[in-house]
Amino acid sequence: MPFLAVNKVKKVYWGERKEEVTALSDLSFTCEQGEFLCIVGPTGCGKTTLLRLIAGLERPNSGDIHIQDTIVDGLNPATTLVFQQYSLFPWRSVIDNVAFSMEIKNINKRERYAQASQFISLVGLSGFEQAFPYELSGGMQQRVAIARALAHDPKLLLLDEPFGALDERTRHRLQEELLSIWQQQAKTVVFVTHTIDEAIFLASRILVMRDRPGRIETEYKINLPRPRKRRSKEFLDFHIKIREEFEKILTTDEKEDE
Amino acid sequence: MKLDNPALLPRVEAVFDRLVHPFADLLDTGSYVRHIIVSASRVVLGFLLAALIGIPLGLLVGRYLLFHRLFSPIIEILRPLCPIAWIPFALAIFKTYTVAQLFGVRYTTSIFGHIQLGMLFVIFYGGFFPIFLNTVHGVKSVKNIFIESALLLGAEQHKLFRKVIFPASQPTILTGLRVGLGISWMVIIAAEMLPGSDAGIGYLIMFSYALAEMDILIASMILIGAVGALLSYGVKFMSDRTSVWQAKER
Repeated sequence: MPFLAVNKVKKVYWGERKEEVTALSDLSFTCEQGEFLCIVGPTGCGKTTLLRLIAGLERPNSGDIHIQDTIVDGLNPATTLVFQQYSLFPWRSVIDNVAFSMEIKNINKRERYAQASQFISLVGLSGFEQAFPYELSGGMQQRVAIARALAHDPKLLLLDEPFGALDERTRHRLQEELLSIWQQQAKTVVFVTHTIDEAIFLASRILVMRDRPGRIETEYKINLPRPRKRRSKEFLDFHIKIREEFEKILTTDEKEDE
Repeated sequence: MKLDNPALLPRVEAVFDRLVHPFADLLDTGSYVRHIIVSASRVVLGFLLAALIGIPLGLLVGRYLLFHRLFSPIIEILRPLCPIAWIPFALAIFKTYTVAQLFGVRYTTSIFGHIQLGMLFVIFYGGFFPIFLNTVHGVKSVKNIFIESALLLGAEQHKLFRKVIFPASQPTILTGLRVGLGISWMVIIAAEMLPGSDAGIGYLIMFSYALAEMDILIASMILIGAVGALLSYGVKFMSDRTSVWQAKER
């Protein structure tokens, strides 16, 4: 039995003119424990919707999602999600943001600060414990968001284009940090992005999604050794293959439009 | 009409002289300090009541549709009614009953003996709406991403309220408190001018008017302005300290 199983999931929204919009249809995939799964696809293909379903923020219209044999029915402590937009609580310092989930669990201040400090140092922000989110750059804020999610100790960490708003250099540095955290913490990660390069750099496996309605088109196992070299031939080969897949999706879309 | 008449316009020195002697007795009614303390304690008590009811009710109405549907119609009808319009009604209902009498303390004199229930009601009414409406607005404008983040990190409803919705809407609530306190202060002056009041800075204005003591009257007006400004700065100072984040976010 796989760690995460998404079975024939369908999700329908009501559009602005009360029309039905099928965001996801007949979508299935599985993910093994400890895997770093990347989902790539064009903007608006329902990647975010898929993560929200797995996180339990929303429910599918049909089909089901299992995490470790338990059906996902609403929010659950096994999963947490890091958003693309900045989501830190602006009235809390860095350490109080990271310690939030422990505060919810009524862990006493000394212990939760000790643990939170470790997560802060894990994302390379030691010395910023007392800083407030407005004092941090975008990259630092997303590091804190990841530390806050890790402090909740989820078995499954979902990330929704967490580095989407960052410049390229910061993004590359955070990708490396995320990989080393994943290796240290032995988490299962589902990472959504629309950047092919990011997916190949991070993933053990890539799912390519297509839109209207959102579903899985193909998958690639990325068996390149880490750390991966972006300019290596194998890396570029994957890049070209997935890019071709993307273009195929986009041209068939245009044909459907005609 | 001659304005050069101390019964119409007092000399500046006379007004100034009143202001520099705040502890001096005025027309056998007590000093400025005493009148201000009486007025201020009425306002503080009424205002605290308004905050005590306005904030929790605002939190509920802002968050839950059921409460919104229950309270909105009543509130929309009551809101346009100026608090001053309630003064005669409050006087008729509560007569001159004081807080001291309400708690059965009749024969000892204390500040509570000067806090009439009718006045308290009117101040409460004046302070309630800005506090309540700002709280509702504050709760409704809490970003969804904060709520979802908290839920994803394991927060249950009551912790969500305490640790996210309340702190996130705190700057807006404090704005409501500041406006509410200002209105309460305005309303108390009006309430004290009516028959049945026995002390307070509004009462002093009417009393000095009756005796044509214009220097006392004008010094009182200056003091009302000064105390009002002080109250407003007090709350602003407090809110600036507790919500630095909000100022920096924008």
